[in-house]
Amino acid sequence: MTGEPRNRKPRVLLIEDNPGDVDLLRLAFSNARFECELTVLDDGGEALALVRQEGKYATLQPPDLAILDLNIPKNDGLEILEAMRANGMYAEVPVAVFSSSSSPRERAAMERFRIRRFITKPSDLEEFMKIGSIVKELLGE
Amino acid sequence: MNGRTRISEIGRFRRLPLQRKLMVVIMATTAAALVLSGISILIFDSVLFRGYLERDLSTLADITADNSTAALSFEDPHAASETLGALRARTHVVTACIYRRNGSVLATYHRAGTSSACPDNEVIQTIHITGADMTLVRPIMLNNRRIGTLTMLYDLRELYDRLRLYGATVLFLLLSSSLLALMLSSRLSAIIATPISQLVQTTTAISETKDYSVRAAKFSADELGVLVDTFNDMLAGIQTRDNELREALLTREQALEDAQNARDFLRTTLTSIGDAVISTDVDGCVVFANRVAQGLLRLPESELTGRRLDDVFSLIHEFDRKPVESPLSKVLREPDHVTSLTDTVLIAGDGTEMPIDNSVAPIRGDGGSIHGMVLVFRDTSARRRAIETSRLLASIVESSGDAIIGYDLNGRITSWNSGAENMFGYCAVEMTGSSTSAIALAGQDEMPGVLQRICRGERIDQYQGVRRTKAGKVMDVSVTVSPIYDALGRIVGASQIARDTTEQVRAASRLAELNADLQRSNERLARSNEDLERFAFIASHDLQEPLRMITLYSQLLVKQYPAELADQAEACISNIVGGTKRMRELLADLLAFTEIGGRPEDPPKPVDLNLVVQKVKENLKASIEETGAEVTADPLPVLVVNDSHFVSLFQNLIGNALKYRSGNAPRIHISLSETGAQLRFAVADNGSGIAPQYHDKIFVAFKRLHGKSIPGTGIGLAICQRVVQRYGGRIWVESQVGQGSTFIFTLPDIRYAEGAVNDRRTS
Repeated sequence: MTGEPRNRKPRVLLIEDNPGDVDLLRLAFSNARFECELTVLDDGGEALALVRQEGKYATLQPPDLAILDLNIPKNDGLEILEAMRANGMYAEVPVAVFSSSSSPRERAAMERFRIRRFITKPSDLEEFMKIGSIVKELLGE
Repeated sequence: MNGRTRISEIGRFRRLPLQRKLMVVIMATTAAALVLSGISILIFDSVLFRGYLERDLSTLADITADNSTAALSFEDPHAASETLGALRARTHVVTACIYRRNGSVLATYHRAGTSSACPDNEVIQTIHITGADMTLVRPIMLNNRRIGTLTMLYDLRELYDRLRLYGATVLFLLLSSSLLALMLSSRLSAIIATPISQLVQTTTAISETKDYSVRAAKFSADELGVLVDTFNDMLAGIQTRDNELREALLTREQALEDAQNARDFLRTTLTSIGDAVISTDVDGCVVFANRVAQGLLRLPESELTGRRLDDVFSLIHEFDRKPVESPLSKVLREPDHVTSLTDTVLIAGDGTEMPIDNSVAPIRGDGGSIHGMVLVFRDTSARRRAIETSRLLASIVESSGDAIIGYDLNGRITSWNSGAENMFGYCAVEMTGSSTSAIALAGQDEMPGVLQRICRGERIDQYQGVRRTKAGKVMDVSVTVSPIYDALGRIVGASQIARDTTEQVRAASRLAELNADLQRSNERLARSNEDLERFAFIASHDLQEPLRMITLYSQLLVKQYPAELADQAEACISNIVGGTKRMRELLADLLAFTEIGGRPEDPPKPVDLNLVVQKVKENLKASIEETGAEVTADPLPVLVVNDSHFVSLFQNLIGNALKYRSGNAPRIHISLSETGAQLRFAVADNGSGIAPQYHDKIFVAFKRLHGKSIPGTGIGLAICQRVVQRYGGRIWVESQVGQGSTFIFTLPDIRYAEGAVNDRRTS
C-alpha cells in the first residue's frame, strides 16, 4: 500500500478468537499463495495491550496489516480500533475488519477508523478462499 | 308728431317734483306776465311816442311855419334860413325847406353833414312816412291865405333808437326778472314744497317701515299744516290699532302655542306609556289609540280611529272563553267605578290571542257629564311566562335527585329540597333556619369558609366533600356551591348542590387499582417482550457462528478429501451440509423476523420505494433472468421508514411471486392507490395462485404450503406481515388457484413531506 517494495514477508496481525476461522484463513492464504508472518491473538485484552504497546508488546513492531474481528471477547472491537488510531505507531496500520455481522454501527466505524476493507465472514468455502487474494491485494502484492 | 310730443311733454311735466312744478308754474306765469307787459309796454310806448313825436313835430312845424311867415311874405331867404336854422336843436331833423307859393324853394336847412334834396312839395300829405324818415308838410298861412309850404324831413331813427333801447331794456328786465323769479321761486316754492315733500317722505318711510309711531313734522299752519295734523292723527289712530292688533295676535299665538304644547305633552305622554291606551267618545267610537294599543291589537291607527270599540277590542274569559262584557257598556252603567279586569284574553285584529289586564274609566267634562271613556290595558304574557318559569324552576329543584340547599349570607339554610331530604334524612322543616353543621362531620364543616369566599365574590370549583346523614352514615359527596344574585346583581346567598359520590369514589379507587395492575402487567409484558426479542436476536445471531463453521468445514471436507471419502460418506456429508444450510436459512429468516422489532439505532428516514424496488430487483437478478420475469411498478412514494424493512418486504413478495410461478414467464406488477388517508399497495403476479382456505395460513411464521420442491423457510410472508403491522397497516391476499395472486397491503400515510417533522413511532 505504501508503494515501496518490501524485501521481507509481510507481517499480518490477526485478532480473531474462533480457531475455525483462523485455520480457514491460513488455508485461504496458502490457496492464494500468500506468505506472511501471521500473529494471532484471540483475546481482546491482549490485543488492546499489543496495540498500546504495553508490557511484552512494547518493542513489537507494528504489522503491515491488521485483520480484526469486532466480536472479540472481553472488549469491543471498536475499542481496539480506537486504541490503534490513538497510538502513533499503529495509527497508520491498514485495518481490515473481519466480522460475522454487518450492523450499520459497525459499518459506520469504517469511515471513522479508516478501515480499508470490511470483510463479512462468509459461510461458503469458495467465498472464504477469496479472502486470500483480498489480503494480498490490500498488502499491495 | 306734434301731438305725441305734447303728450310726452305733459307726461314729463307730470313727473316733475312738486317744487319743480311750482317753479315752472311761477316761472311760466312770471315770464308770461313779463313778456306780455313788456310787449304791451313796448307797443304802447311806441305808439305813444309816435303820437307824441307827431305832435311834437307838427307843433314844431307849425311854429316854424308861423315863424317863417314874415320871411316868406317879405321874401327874405336869409331870415327864412335863420328860422329854419333853429331846427338845429332837433338833431333828428334832417332837412327842412320853405317853398313859395309857386313851389320854389325859399330856404333850406340841412343837418350838418347831410345834404339831401328837399322833399318834393307836391306831396300834400301832412305826414308821410317812408321807411326811416318822416316828411311833414305844412302850409304857411297868413291871414288864412297860404303863402307857402314848409316841409320837414325827420329822421325816425330816434324813434327806432328809442324802440331799440326800450326793447333791450325790456329784454334785460325780462331776463333779470326771470332770474329773480327763478331764485325767489326756488326759495319760496320750497316753503310750499318742502313740507309736502317732508310729508311724502314721512308717509313713504311709514309705509315702508310700518312704524306708526313716526309723526310728520308740521312746518306751517296752513292747509298743509292741517293736512299734517290730520295725517298725524290718523297715524296715531293707526298706531293704536296696530298695537292692539299686535297684542291680540301675540296673545292668540301664545294661546295656540300653549294649546299645542299641552296637546303635544299629552300625546307624548300617551305615546310613551308602556301600556296600551284607547280613548273613545260617548258613543263608543275610538278617538285615540296609542302606539302600544295599535301594536297589541295589530291594527294601524287608521283602522282604529272612528271604529266602534267593540269591533276592534273583544275580550273573552281566559278559562271558559266566554265573551266578557264590553268595557264601554260597563263604564256607562257604572260611571263612578273604575273597573279592572284580569284573567281576560284579548283577541287582536289578526286573530292572535293574548292575556291582558285592563282597566276602564270614564272621561268627564266640566259639568260632570261623560264625554267618553279611556281604556288602559297591558299584555301579561311575559309576566305569566315569568311566573311559569319560576314554577318550573321550583319544580326542577324539587324533583332533582341531588340535594339542593339554599343559604342566606349568615349561613342559615333557607331552602332544602326533597333531594336533600332523601339524601340526609332531615326534612325541610327541621333544616330551615339551621346552620350547615348538622350534615357535616365533626370539625370538618367546610361550608362556613366556602360561604365566606362566595360572599367575597370568589369562584368555587366543584370539590369532593364528606357529609353525615341523620342516621350517622358517612358519605362522599361532590359539592358545587354557587352564589345567588338578586335583581341588582348583588350576592344575597348561596346554593349548594351535593351529589352522593360514595359509589363513584369507590369505583374510582377500584379503577385506580386496576389501572396500576394493568400498568404493572404491561410493564412486565413489555420487558418480557424485550427479553424475548433480544433472546431471539442473540440466539439466531450466535447460532449462526457454529453453523457457519459446520458448513465451511463440511465443504472443506468434501473438497479436500474427495478421493478418500466413500460415496456413502459423501452422502452423509451432503446431508450434514444440507441440514446446516437449512438451519442457516431458518436462523437467518428468524433473525430477519426479529429485527423487524426495530433496533433503536435504525431510526426511520425518508426512503424512496422506487429505489427499494430497484435494489430488490438487483438482489433477485439471477432469478429474474432465469425465469424471464418482468417486474414493473407504478411510481412509488417516498416513505419515512427503515429501508431494510421495506427491502425485506418487497424482496419477499417479489421473490415469492418468482418462486411460485405458473408455467408462464412471471409478470409481476406493483401498483399504488390512495384510499382516504391510507396508501394501498398491490403486488400482482400471474403465478400459480393460492386456494382461499390458505389465505390466512400463509402469513403464519414457518407455515408452508409446499414441500422441498420449492425452497423457502415459510417466514417470508410472516416477515411481510410483521413489517406492515409495524408501520400500522394490514396485509392480505386476493387469489384463486390458477389465477395468479395479488398481495395487498395498506399503510397509513407516512409519506415524506418536505419540511414536516415526521416522527412516527408505530407499534
